[in-house]
Amino acid sequence: MDTKFKPPGPPAGSSSSSPTTLPALPKLEILNPSSTLPSHRFLRPAKRINEGLDVSQFLTSKAYRDIGVWILQLNHALVPRVIKKSPAAATASASTSSEPKTESTEEDKQPKAEEEPPKDALTAKLQSLHKKKDEQRPREEIRTFPLPKGDEVKEEEPESIQKLQRLLKKVEAIIDEAPPNPGPRRFGNVSFRTWHKILEQRAEGLLREYLPGGVLRWETGGGGEKKEGVKKKEEEEGWEEEGADTETEGDGSADSDKKTNEQKTQEVVGPLEELKAYFLGGFGSAQRLDYGTGHELSFMMFLGGLWKLGGFEGEENDEDGEVERRIVLGVVEPYLRVIRRLILTYTLEPAGSHGVWGLDDHSFIPYIFGSAQYTRPISSPNEPTPLEGSVPNAPKPGDITKPTAVERYRTENMYFSAIGFINDVKKGPFWEHSPILFDVSGIKDGWGKINKGMIKMFNAEVLSKFPVVQHFPFGSLFRWEQDPQAGTPVQSVHMQNQPVASSAAAAAVTGGVGIPTERPSGTAAPWAQTQAPGVASGGGPGTTAPWAQKPSSAPGPGGITGTAAPWARAPTQAPTQAPGAGAGMAPPMTAAPWARSSGAGAGAEVGPSAANRFTPYKPTGVPGGAPDTGPAPPESFRSGTPGTASNQFAVTKAPWAK
Amino acid sequence: MSDLDRAIAQLRACRPIPESDVRELCHKAREILIEEGNVVTVNAPVTVICGDIHGQFHDLMELFRVGGDPPDTNYLFMGDFVDRGFYSLETFLLLLCLKVRYPDRMTLIRGNHESRQITTVYGFYDECYRKYGSANVWRYCCDVFDYLALGAIVLGASNTISPSAGESSIPTTPEGDEVEIEVCNAQGEVMSRFPRPNNGTNNDLQSRTNGIPPPSNTGPPGSGASGSSRGTVGNPAGAVLCVHGGLSPLIDKVDKIRLLDRKQEVPHEGAMCDLLWSDPDEIDGWGLSPRGAGFLFGADIVKVFNHRNDLSLIARAHQLVMEGFKEMFDASIVTVWSAPNYCYRCGNVAALLELSEDDSGLGVLARSNGDVNRSDGGGGGLGDSEPQPMKGPARRYRVFQAAPQDSRGMPAKKPVADYFL
Repeated sequence: MDTKFKPPGPPAGSSSSSPTTLPALPKLEILNPSSTLPSHRFLRPAKRINEGLDVSQFLTSKAYRDIGVWILQLNHALVPRVIKKSPAAATASASTSSEPKTESTEEDKQPKAEEEPPKDALTAKLQSLHKKKDEQRPREEIRTFPLPKGDEVKEEEPESIQKLQRLLKKVEAIIDEAPPNPGPRRFGNVSFRTWHKILEQRAEGLLREYLPGGVLRWETGGGGEKKEGVKKKEEEEGWEEEGADTETEGDGSADSDKKTNEQKTQEVVGPLEELKAYFLGGFGSAQRLDYGTGHELSFMMFLGGLWKLGGFEGEENDEDGEVERRIVLGVVEPYLRVIRRLILTYTLEPAGSHGVWGLDDHSFIPYIFGSAQYTRPISSPNEPTPLEGSVPNAPKPGDITKPTAVERYRTENMYFSAIGFINDVKKGPFWEHSPILFDVSGIKDGWGKINKGMIKMFNAEVLSKFPVVQHFPFGSLFRWEQDPQAGTPVQSVHMQNQPVASSAAAAAVTGGVGIPTERPSGTAAPWAQTQAPGVASGGGPGTTAPWAQKPSSAPGPGGITGTAAPWARAPTQAPTQAPGAGAGMAPPMTAAPWARSSGAGAGAEVGPSAANRFTPYKPTGVPGGAPDTGPAPPESFRSGTPGTASNQFAVTKAPWAK
Repeated sequence: MSDLDRAIAQLRACRPIPESDVRELCHKAREILIEEGNVVTVNAPVTVICGDIHGQFHDLMELFRVGGDPPDTNYLFMGDFVDRGFYSLETFLLLLCLKVRYPDRMTLIRGNHESRQITTVYGFYDECYRKYGSANVWRYCCDVFDYLALGAIVLGASNTISPSAGESSIPTTPEGDEVEIEVCNAQGEVMSRFPRPNNGTNNDLQSRTNGIPPPSNTGPPGSGASGSSRGTVGNPAGAVLCVHGGLSPLIDKVDKIRLLDRKQEVPHEGAMCDLLWSDPDEIDGWGLSPRGAGFLFGADIVKVFNHRNDLSLIARAHQLVMEGFKEMFDASIVTVWSAPNYCYRCGNVAALLELSEDDSGLGVLARSNGDVNRSDGGGGGLGDSEPQPMKGPARRYRVFQAAPQDSRGMPAKKPVADYFL
């Protein structure tokens, strides 16, 4: 972890209003048209993650850094705020368009969430000491950021948000044009293919109409470029069909795929082509009739791309995350509503379902943002996201198991909204069909703790999983290039169990990708927030970032381990971590008997590394087991028409499938 | 043996057994399984064939209630015991205990989920870790997976259906008509019957279903099944091949399956992989599988394979079917699915396939392991130029729903995963 790391984006403009000297948190870079246009070349996004090994490279790419920065930036904006103000000014900022709930809190009367009893006592003490000055004591207001009511387009929202809301309405309305097929089916409804086809056909027009105006000005610089884009249209459509979402197995060798991708990326394209790939990638797979976290990620980065291109009003002078909040509450949640309707209408299969052992069949993002909505308030825009504690009056995490509570909170909170959808579609005891969420609901340290865990889990279970990220395309906004600041990704049993090109490559996985050794910090995320010592101590002085102590991947009792969270924000804050403690923290993963220990890189390992290794079983040296590399089947080999097998709920895909 | 009985009792109560017992159990199981061929021969005194279970333990109990308790009923499970469900561990260990306790009455064959790599992705690894705090039990189980047979052949199934135990709400078919397919509900009541059509004719199927909506190619139950079975013609019943996924372009004879070295992790390609991963589909010949492993295969492939191997039917699992079972390709292959309301949300029913023992002596002769494909099936010697399906065994499907949930208490919350520490 490099503590000198400076976020690539402009320093947040709010530093002047910051009451403390905390450094600004990283934000996603905003490209400046006037300064970068001559040099900025848009690229047609291309698939780069073709095998398990590529995931390690992805984890050190600029795109990965940007994804992390973007998610954390949005996450931080949702954390409730404490606003100190003099009684006179108390009513000044009452109404803002994202409808924050403002609660006047006289500390002594305010009912406290169970997580914060000490503060109550402290306040009482303070009060008795300063009785006289009581009236002059600054009143505190806590602003929370619940979901807006209703799902109609909000006139009071800025134009960019309104436009995106209208865009989503248009997308949703396509459902009426592609009613579900009443005929026989195994599970997924084939009419989703019709729906998706219509969306693909209209995507460009829709984006032209509804993208915030600031984004399209990027096109004006290159009239010639645009022409060429049109000229290449035919090819482009071919690409959309093949690369944007469908599996590429079966058509041609990986080599020729790569070549065409490279050719394609060399053409001059505009911002629309680039954004369209992420936009379309956000609405499930027409071929497989499924939807999963990879699609969700794609839509999030569509929004990230808009941000980078300056698509949201006021983002350059964003005060304390106002713009980001509008994006999450005003666009992401409506997006999730559309997705839920698609899932119900076309019975979309959860892409690569882990059954009860996944967090959720389809989604991840609402658990991050929803837990942020209930996290302990912060009092400065630059105060890092709290690692524990809840905002007063938040429901208890355990309330997610109570249907009545879920019904009550699902309209204001994204976490409960997601749980509500689970309750809508699943039958059976909650603890049985959703054991991970059930266990999380037992957490005693508040929503901040849950938020922290969700982010770590997102990194491990979404960003680090080959089946999930393999379709993510890379262009000029989210670049495949290596981030020079990136640390080394950590391997886990799940991550290692990903397809590799050959057994030689398998050895490279275990040998080449080092397990963090002496560095107690583990691998830090490039977007790591620099954190002043003690800031996180709201929940108790001296509390260090808990995950700073877990540098290496440690499959926990829950087993859903993944990579160690690379975004340990404050590696220097791990005073309890003895040097080399990584060895003591043996990832509980017992050595698999078949694990090959590879000579290469062995020196870089600490004790448990052998146990942490899992060489994927490879019977042959042939890449990945894609059928086209197999023995030629007899006569009349039909190339990949979507088979009925894909119309199936929770069909198992080979993890090594491309 | 009393240890084993105690373990069975404990597992039947859905309580995991200690790690040391698992280790011992897996050791014993391997000793038994290693003696089995890649293709197990099963004779059919009422054999119940089951599809995917996926850790739905309470639904497995329901299955035993509907199909008859082991060891009184002969069971054949076509793999995918684990992953996705909450009780993969209890499910697999109970089946394994029953296998060790009653080796001749329980047949377990391997599914694509009985694999190290798949279980680390789809849940069983996580479940073991959560329930034992270490991966040891997962390792023991995976070692057993490597020894599971790849397929089974059921011999001696009857052409005529045995009297059903339950009361029939459907009048018996007119005399002279042989019932080929009978569908029962979980209470054993006959929901529909499909007589075996006369040689070469099949158009009277609909008129005999007694109040059940006429089956068509589209309708339940068994949907395509009943509709497209179109009457298997009247040859003596051939054998039934049971395999988890389907066929492989590398396997033209059942004997070739016997030659595989199966004691390994499921490879990413090749015959062994295909048997566990392939799916039938409405195509000609072979096709690429959207799963990324195995193949799709069409009706022509199945018919040629069945003819060449004197098979009347292939029973397989591997794909969810909303109605619990689905016959395809003129009843030459059937998918059986035994996990009701799959993943708590699919709303599907489950099914098991019951084959009766032939007591007339006219069924397929019992043959020793390895001889099956060399027999002519007792008179099925049709000209090679004119492949015709063998007369299929009479099939009774018992359809059942998810077990009621009221009896399951809420457990204490477990420590959360490391992410949340």
